[in-house]
Amino acid sequence: MIRRPNQTRTVILLVAPAFVFVLVFFVLPLIFLLSQSVLPEDGGFTLRGYVDFFQSRVSRVVYLRTLKLGLIVTGICVLMSYPAAFVLARMPVRRRSFLMSLVILPLMTNAVARTFAWLIILGRRGMINQTLLSLDLVENPLRFIFTETAIVLGLAQLFLPLMVLPLVSAMENIPNDVLEAARSLGANRLTTFVRIVVPLSSDGLVLGATLVFTGSVTAFVTPAILGGSRLLLMSTLLRQKAVILFDQHAAAVVAVVMILTTLAVNLLLRVLRVQQV
Amino acid sequence: MISRWMYISLVILFGFLLGPFVIIFMASFGANANLAFPPQGFTLDWFANVFETSQFIDSFWISLQLGLSSTIVSLVMGMPVAYALTRFQFAASGMVETVFSAPILVPGLVVGFAMLNFFVLLGDMHVMTGLFIGHTAILFPYSVRVISASLRNLDPYVEDAAVSLGANRLRGFLLVVLPNMQAGIAAAFVLGFITSFNNVPVSLFLSGPGVTTLPVSMLSYLEYYFDPTIAALSTLLVIFTVLLVQTAERVLGLSQFV
Repeated sequence: MIRRPNQTRTVILLVAPAFVFVLVFFVLPLIFLLSQSVLPEDGGFTLRGYVDFFQSRVSRVVYLRTLKLGLIVTGICVLMSYPAAFVLARMPVRRRSFLMSLVILPLMTNAVARTFAWLIILGRRGMINQTLLSLDLVENPLRFIFTETAIVLGLAQLFLPLMVLPLVSAMENIPNDVLEAARSLGANRLTTFVRIVVPLSSDGLVLGATLVFTGSVTAFVTPAILGGSRLLLMSTLLRQKAVILFDQHAAAVVAVVMILTTLAVNLLLRVLRVQQV
Repeated sequence: MISRWMYISLVILFGFLLGPFVIIFMASFGANANLAFPPQGFTLDWFANVFETSQFIDSFWISLQLGLSSTIVSLVMGMPVAYALTRFQFAASGMVETVFSAPILVPGLVVGFAMLNFFVLLGDMHVMTGLFIGHTAILFPYSVRVISASLRNLDPYVEDAAVSLGANRLRGFLLVVLPNMQAGIAAAFVLGFITSFNNVPVSLFLSGPGVTTLPVSMLSYLEYYFDPTIAALSTLLVIFTVLLVQTAERVLGLSQFV
């Protein structure tokens, strides 16, 4: 490479505008948020807000429910996408790229539109209830909306592409020879899949799981529409505290707990990924 | 290696991914207002209703302006960062990368909430300015990553050749690097625009009276009305997105950047 004159100055000039922007409008607000969570308006430094959060039964239930639903959604996404991603990864390029654009399509549509479909499917006069009624399986429509099942279905549909994409790109890199070797040495399909394909695509699995889990525990639209105020998750709890109860201190605590949760998951799974290499 | 049940799993996957769109599509033409399934009759009234609801029209224009302006600004400011990261080796590069990927690590709702509180602290700020700042900040990670990928594909010697032939660095960038990055820039643009256009969590807190983005106004419409108007609007948005994405995919190969 040609010698770069005044390297440091050039780098600073290139990076500075965006860096200052992110620092002032993104990092500073977060620091302010952190300070709000430990400095209530009437008094000095205290961790009271966090103690209250974890001592209150309501917020503890909401927090654990959020984590539980996140785990279930991640599990469903893994089960639904693993075998399908393998088929996609082994397809001829033309067909694969067409199908991949269909996988991406939901990601490009807003969450309100995608969640709305579940109201039509699960509603009182929705698809499932009408089917059950016409088959005489139930006498009165069942309530699906405002249940954990509804939220799980909505979130799984929302984040499924984020599991499929990394899995397919991890599986594309598995050479055919490896699979053929396993088969010719006597492994059946299932053994080959479990002992060869799964370990060799674990990178994609870990990345996909990180994206789906953190997405699920922080999503707002789906729990707002399908859970409402009757079945709160962390995000809807944050909104309730801030907008309806006007308790900015408690809302800041919820927000910081959300950040710490996603950071912890990201770090944990990053460690997992490093160890595998 | 691929057995029949694997193909079945592929069918289930696509059924689950795309089924909801088919249902929205059907519901948007149905004549019954209560969204009973299956829809009865055929009507275009819900589409007409979309265009007669001023809340949707106003917020569409706001989302469009917001998407375009925040994407352009995040690209113009993000491009030099991507250039510095790919063409120079410097001690703080790891830190710079972390700072610019941070906006996707923090939950969108938290970003919006933190910004709102901070802007209140700063004093009177126009709602649109707040939305613009919020969207620009969350788009940096996409701009920097996509442009960096595109710069890594371009041999630095091409640029060095221009410089050794007498162009200065800026001229080399404008006349040699930039034209070679068209596809990357366009892909970053489409990705950024769609991200901003569909965003709810960041916009939710930053929206104000009369100034709301389209997805947020769809959400608040749902709080009061439960009729197929949202289905019709969603159908229109899906068609708009498919056209945009298919064009981008065909021309640029968008999926390699996502």
